Amino acid sequence: MKTKIALLILFISGNLFAQEQKMTSAEIAQFKEDVNVVSKKIKTLSTDFVQYKHLDFLSKDIETSGKMVFKEPALLQWQYKKPYNYSIVFKNGKILINDEGKKSAVDIGNSKIFARINKLIIGSVSGNMFDDKEFSISYFKLKGQNLAKFIPKDATLKKYIKQIELTFDKEEATVVQVKLLESSEDYTRIVLKNKVINAKIDDSVFTN
Amino acid sequence: MQKSTIQFLLINCLLALVLFSCASVTKNYTPKKLDKTSYTVPYFSDSKTDYVYKTNISVYGNELSGIFIAKKINDTTHRIVFTTEFGNKLMDFEISETDFKVNSIVSELDRKILINTLKDDFRLLLKKEYLIQEQFENESSNIYKSADGKRDNYIFISKKDQKLEKIVQASKTKEKFTLTFSSENNIFAEKIQIVHKNIKLKIELNYFKSE
Repeated sequence: MKTKIALLILFISGNLFAQEQKMTSAEIAQFKEDVNVVSKKIKTLSTDFVQYKHLDFLSKDIETSGKMVFKEPALLQWQYKKPYNYSIVFKNGKILINDEGKKSAVDIGNSKIFARINKLIIGSVSGNMFDDKEFSISYFKLKGQNLAKFIPKDATLKKYIKQIELTFDKEEATVVQVKLLESSEDYTRIVLKNKVINAKIDDSVFTN
Repeated sequence: MQKSTIQFLLINCLLALVLFSCASVTKNYTPKKLDKTSYTVPYFSDSKTDYVYKTNISVYGNELSGIFIAKKINDTTHRIVFTTEFGNKLMDFEISETDFKVNSIVSELDRKILINTLKDDFRLLLKKEYLIQEQFENESSNIYKSADGKRDNYIFISKKDQKLEKIVQASKTKEKFTLTFSSENNIFAEKIQIVHKNIKLKIELNYFKSE
């Protein structure tokens, strides 16, 4: 009986071990340092992405995919190519949208929430979000990966996002997955692949 | 003599106008003998299917786009979720013929008039069974009239291929809103338009296959 319990405990803790393990404060410091070194070097970044929208009541995740391009300090294009064409550009305090050829623009110069979203997206993709005072952050280790969980402190933001989880490749110290949790059951998971850092990107890319 | 003729003409004109507007919904249709007493809508009825559409909503000149998701969650109820392209949930409803529940809605869209309008729209969109009281026809369609409280629904079935093409909800005198369907197989609607007559609201749904 005792051995059974011991085995069970070992099994459960072993399982937890395989999933997520809290970082020690020394590991956190090292991890932040690694990410900061890499993200400071990022002048431009382009990556393919696949977005999985998970809603608990659906039988399958809703899958959309496309390309994301970022250029310092704050030019960002988020472009869906499949199964529809929809592109959104953040540029000089404006959001430019091209929805299957239908164009529109939103001035976000004064919109705090959009400025915050812009900062959030760029921060998520570059990984440099650790100095953000708006989140309480916890750090975990996974197999070959690191995981940072961000919980918004602000009530308005909290209404939209319960938690953001950034998964980093341990070696490269760059983001490989962004997970936005709306509730415990529903989330958006974005997997980044074919990342290219510091290729020459012309400003004209950020037109819509 | 002349005076009474004018009066008579006036009354006739008024009467014609009244009759005309009363009958405006069905004025271009020819009454026909009933060939069925009920109609079952094929769309949105499979509980195994995730109905996922790219959506464009145009309301009083404002454009809103995103993803519309409908799923039959039990015999009577559908779950309806509208998200942005990024996946943020904007609205989340549960709707049946008798019940309506708002699971969540972002504060920017939390307006009673909007919610009630969408409730009526989606309820008609997801309605499965119609009891038929009258039948009409025009050149291309058989038209079935089904009472719905104070209003009537007119169901247009194409004569050519027996597909459900359109449902019009109308008061006794006026069309309120119209659902238009495009379907290849008459099981699944690839394209749906919801167009209102008295408010500037148009909802367009285009099915997309998530790969």
